Amino acid sequence: MSTSVFSVDGLWKVFGPKADRVPADPELAALPAADLRTRTGCTAAVRDVSFDVRKGEVFVVMGLSGSGKSTLVRCLTRLIEPTAGTIAIDGEDVRAMDKARLRELRRHRAAMVFQHFGLLPHRTVLDNVAYGLEIQGVGRAERRAKAAEVVAKVGLEGMEQRRPGQLSGGQQQRVGLARALAVDPEVLLFDEPFSALDPLIRREMQEEVVRLHREEGRTMVFITHDLSEALKLGDRIALMRDGRIVQLGTPEEIVGSPADDYVREFVRDVPREQVMTVRTAMRPASADEADSGPAVVPGATVSEAIEAVARTGGPVRVMDGSRCVGIVDHTGLLDVVAGVAAEADMAAVAAGSDAAAAGSRAAGAARVGDGGAPARARSSVGEAPRQRGGAVQPAGTNAETV
Amino acid sequence: MATITATPPRTLPGALKHPAARKLLLLALAAAILVPLANARWTSGTWPTALTIDLTQPLTNVSDWIIDNRDSHPLFLYFFGHISNAVVLSVRAVYLTLLTIGWTGVTALGALVAWRVAGVKLALGTAAAFLACGLLGMWVPTMQTLALMVVAVLASVVVGALLGLAAGLSDRMDRALRPVLDTMQVLPAFAYLLPVVLVFGIGVPAAVLATVVYAAPPMARLTALGLRGADKGVLEAVESLGATARQRLLTARVPLARKELLLGLNQTIMMALSMAVIASVIGAGGLGDRVYQALASVDVGAALAAGIPIVLLAVVLDRVTAAAGNGGTEHPRAGWPYALAAALAVAVAGRLLGRTDWPGSWTLNIAEPVNRAVDWMTAHLYSGVPVVGGTADWAGHFTTWVLDPVRDGLQWLPWWSVLLVVAALAWLIGTWRTALTAVLAMAAIGVLGVWEPALDTLSQVLAAVAVTLVLGFATGIAAARSDRFERLLRPVLDVFQTMPQFVYLIPVVALFGVGRAPAVAAAVVYALPAVVRITAQGLRQVDPAAMESARSLGATSGQQLRQVQLPLARPALLLALNQGVVLVLAVVIIGGLVGAGALGYDVVFGLAQGDLATGLVAGAAIVCLGLMLDRVTQPTGRRAKKGA
Amino acid sequence: MRRKRMMTAGALALLVLTTGCGAADMTQQASPFANAQGAKTVTLSVQSWVGAQANVAVAQYLLEHELGYRVDTVQVDEVPAWDALSQGRVDAILEDWGHPEQEQRYVDDKKTITRGGDLGVTGHIGWYVPTYFAEQHPDVTNWKNLNKYADRFRTPESGGKGQLMDGSPSYVTNDKALVKNLKLDYQVVFAGSEAAQITQIKQFAKEKKPFLTYWYSPQWLFKKVPMTEVKLPAYQEGCDADPAKVACAYPHTPLQKYLNTDFAEQGGKAAAFLRKFQWTTEDQNEVSLMIAEQKLSPEEAAKKWVDSHRTTWKAWLS
Repeated sequence: MSTSVFSVDGLWKVFGPKADRVPADPELAALPAADLRTRTGCTAAVRDVSFDVRKGEVFVVMGLSGSGKSTLVRCLTRLIEPTAGTIAIDGEDVRAMDKARLRELRRHRAAMVFQHFGLLPHRTVLDNVAYGLEIQGVGRAERRAKAAEVVAKVGLEGMEQRRPGQLSGGQQQRVGLARALAVDPEVLLFDEPFSALDPLIRREMQEEVVRLHREEGRTMVFITHDLSEALKLGDRIALMRDGRIVQLGTPEEIVGSPADDYVREFVRDVPREQVMTVRTAMRPASADEADSGPAVVPGATVSEAIEAVARTGGPVRVMDGSRCVGIVDHTGLLDVVAGVAAEADMAAVAAGSDAAAAGSRAAGAARVGDGGAPARARSSVGEAPRQRGGAVQPAGTNAETV
Repeated sequence: MATITATPPRTLPGALKHPAARKLLLLALAAAILVPLANARWTSGTWPTALTIDLTQPLTNVSDWIIDNRDSHPLFLYFFGHISNAVVLSVRAVYLTLLTIGWTGVTALGALVAWRVAGVKLALGTAAAFLACGLLGMWVPTMQTLALMVVAVLASVVVGALLGLAAGLSDRMDRALRPVLDTMQVLPAFAYLLPVVLVFGIGVPAAVLATVVYAAPPMARLTALGLRGADKGVLEAVESLGATARQRLLTARVPLARKELLLGLNQTIMMALSMAVIASVIGAGGLGDRVYQALASVDVGAALAAGIPIVLLAVVLDRVTAAAGNGGTEHPRAGWPYALAAALAVAVAGRLLGRTDWPGSWTLNIAEPVNRAVDWMTAHLYSGVPVVGGTADWAGHFTTWVLDPVRDGLQWLPWWSVLLVVAALAWLIGTWRTALTAVLAMAAIGVLGVWEPALDTLSQVLAAVAVTLVLGFATGIAAARSDRFERLLRPVLDVFQTMPQFVYLIPVVALFGVGRAPAVAAAVVYALPAVVRITAQGLRQVDPAAMESARSLGATSGQQLRQVQLPLARPALLLALNQGVVLVLAVVIIGGLVGAGALGYDVVFGLAQGDLATGLVAGAAIVCLGLMLDRVTQPTGRRAKKGA
Repeated sequence: MRRKRMMTAGALALLVLTTGCGAADMTQQASPFANAQGAKTVTLSVQSWVGAQANVAVAQYLLEHELGYRVDTVQVDEVPAWDALSQGRVDAILEDWGHPEQEQRYVDDKKTITRGGDLGVTGHIGWYVPTYFAEQHPDVTNWKNLNKYADRFRTPESGGKGQLMDGSPSYVTNDKALVKNLKLDYQVVFAGSEAAQITQIKQFAKEKKPFLTYWYSPQWLFKKVPMTEVKLPAYQEGCDADPAKVACAYPHTPLQKYLNTDFAEQGGKAAAFLRKFQWTTEDQNEVSLMIAEQKLSPEEAAKKWVDSHRTTWKAWLS
């Protein structure tokens, strides 16, 4: 098990008068949003949220507007002061930090990229990128050299002396990204960074993020309301609704076994063959099948497997290294595409626990990866959910297919 | 009482569900209870004497004490004395510097600064303006005014920026300062003069301080606005990078507020300039004094000769600071040293040639032709014009048929009904808070014992505002519909708006005789440009999509105006009303100098006779009247900038 | 906490800054525009009426051209001018119409102002009607008959009553009390400034309309608009002691000059010159008329007078 960069436990953010009492009082804490508002005048933006962000992964928080995801990410560096719960970065309690320590955290350990860029309009691109270093007190020559390097890295060479107002939206966000990268943070926090961009530019920027992640392996927390973006970028996805995490898992788990009707509705139109891996579609291999024939890796998507199956006309082996872990054939693959397999899984899950009734609270508490809590997602897949970010995963393939 | 705002039961007739009707009903209820009480206790009619406080004795005592102790009491020796000293020294330093540079140097420097900030065209304009000042024989007074202005503007900017900083960074300061600043913006300049004179005596220090008090509020307001209005996203980004509060202020908030800061500077300069003229009444010297002296000998030409440099200074300063606010032209920084060196060279050259003083023979006498024109105008228009009658007849009719009935009507109304009307108007247009402020302000006037003259002043304001609005809306609509007309109108409006109010006073007397009518006429002339401008702007800014859809439905241009433009421009029209009222009040007060009587006369009397009791009470009443009028005409959410 | 400490420190620094350098008596400050470029400067107060401008114009011309001073003029109303004179912001007032209260305070008690002697001109305030009207109705010149003519003097501004036009609020006037105490059917209308009053009088005269106005002599306007005084109950010493009960005419006042005490003592030639400055009503009117009617600049008018009255002013310089 890998180390956690962020470890969040029982986090609450309540806006309104005397917000403290809401998390403390179990009765209030259980109230739906509308009732809570009429009873106390408070709004709970984040309710009892727990998760870990592991080193090197892209952790996506996704939800519709108003689901509390932007508040959540701001709580991580206390841009918004949380109401209750604990946040730790590398084991250090963020909520206990004094001002200087907190500043230290923001300066060196976690940098953020914003939806509306947040660039200083009166500074040049170069000075905007160097701004974080300037705040840290880095000398002029040094910070400019570093900034120039990062500007080149995000593909803005030649625009150093322009002002933000002279750039397109995509270019501005590259500046925002460069500004965050320039301080060389341990974690990058993205708050819906590409929502304000045109679809084409958005895809370009997403690929940029994938590339950066592949090159540097930096831990990222990525907020988005766009499911396809979440599926494309996320190693793991936390799906939020009304301040709670409804489901937390790999894209495959979210799509393959939605935790409740809300999630199911959400992922209904996702092209499953591009998200699900052959793991879901395979059946155990019979002795003769395991030895020969064409092969795919376990991380391959169903869509890739279909291509292989179509080309060979027969079943294909799923090879984990030199070991055959299973066989995919027409039937298995078609089941996935049709969603039959997933429904079957879901039925099993529903029978296994009272998930639908328990609602999001149970899901929020389910801490995938800590091994203790009954992680529903895991029960259906039976594998550590870290595959996609691992070495097996051909990141390029992923980016091209979605 | 007024706080009961329970939703009415559904059975009420439809009309009562309307919030305005509800407010009125509530007010009527309050009146029904309070009026008989008030009536039983005190008489109706004019403000009851039992409710007044006579401040004459205490104020006279204060004034005597100040005069007796001004050269001995530590408060004056150690505090006001130093302020006064500092003002005198700095004004003197600037003045001597300007004289040393000489007219060549000042002109060159002005032009070069304008060039760097705003481009070649304005630079030429600036140079021409300075040369015109010299040509009119007003070089030295212009430099005196400029010296006073430089000090006053710097002080205003520092004071204003500090207050604005406090209000921009602290919510509590903002809540405390905002109503004060809002109120100070609507007060007539005249009301500021007396208290300063009381402490500092006649002279430059008093003039500078009155100017600072008058000109600092817009700077403070706009600084606070700029700091508060900074893009939240940028500030959050800056914070997320771990900036300290100081870094956040210096690297983000202040640079982000640049536009507002420069707009504040612009407003401050314009207000300081207008005050520098009015302050000539308390010894400011310079151009304002020349205007004032010329008027004393009924010399409109000479007044104009001193007024034109003021207008030129105003236009130049306005355009240059406005250009700086809009980002200006992008020049490389390297230009500045060259510009400065060039200015220096010109100054030195001027000195070497012995030309620091404006050559006496290079002046142009415009006073005579102007006076001849004015004489001709008054001779031919004053009376006996066939069919329409002369201006004097108009003035007479206006006084008899409009001013007198309005005044008598107001003074005939029982005092409580005036309060009720004020409350109703203020509440309909604003909140119960504005209504309360307005009523309290009006009541304060009664308590001060100047109920009757205040209503007299009010009647003049109402009449002038009515005329201003009729003319202003008509002209504004015309300007909004015709580009050519607006282009023609623009310079005229500029000149009328920056011309010191004093300049209008003599021609209006020549045309309309002595009394309230000329004061009203001067007020209309002064307030008209702002009303026209705001109206035209409001109509032009109406959403083009709405206009397009109206046109696509085949609306005639009259229908477009009535059904789309006017309703959509309603906020602008209300703003025009508000500005009109504020500006009219300012001039109606000055109308005390041409026989308008009432509160304006009391202030002039107080200043002239050193009778601070009369002057201060009248000044306070003007403050209250201004406050009341502003609240009654102020729609919720003020966007007004004085003299916009 | 830190902020509070900083604020206290700032306040202290300000206090030290403003008080540390000792006392500053602002009543002893000159105008910042005085003495520019090393010239010796005299600052004279000009009142708003033209007679006073004539005094100042001639004094200024002689000070500048004969004695080599630079002269600044400041227009200040009468009472504030006393205050300014006492503070030394003005060096001299050349024409004062009598302000006993100020004289007591500044000349006798505080001794910051010194008497400068007679101007040589005698001033008189009174009520006047235009001569063309007085000739048609000779009995109007007695106050007892004024009520009979109230109708003729009506204007829109005075409403139902006759109009008695007063001038600048800075002038010495008992007119409101007079109207009340003499039971006249008149309304006092304040023109607000002398300029406004003159303009109005000229407009009336142009149409030969009747009017009743507060006016004073010497005044150049008499030459343009001949006016006849209305006799009020005769002036007796002390009859104007209580402003509310005045029911008598205005006195004849020999106009006075006043100098700032320091200037009187250290002003050298300029102070000596101003003490000696004395001329007649005719002289003053001559200059006034040139300024007001011929629209000469005060300087040109003064030059004309100086060129033709050498003997008069030579005496002032000796």
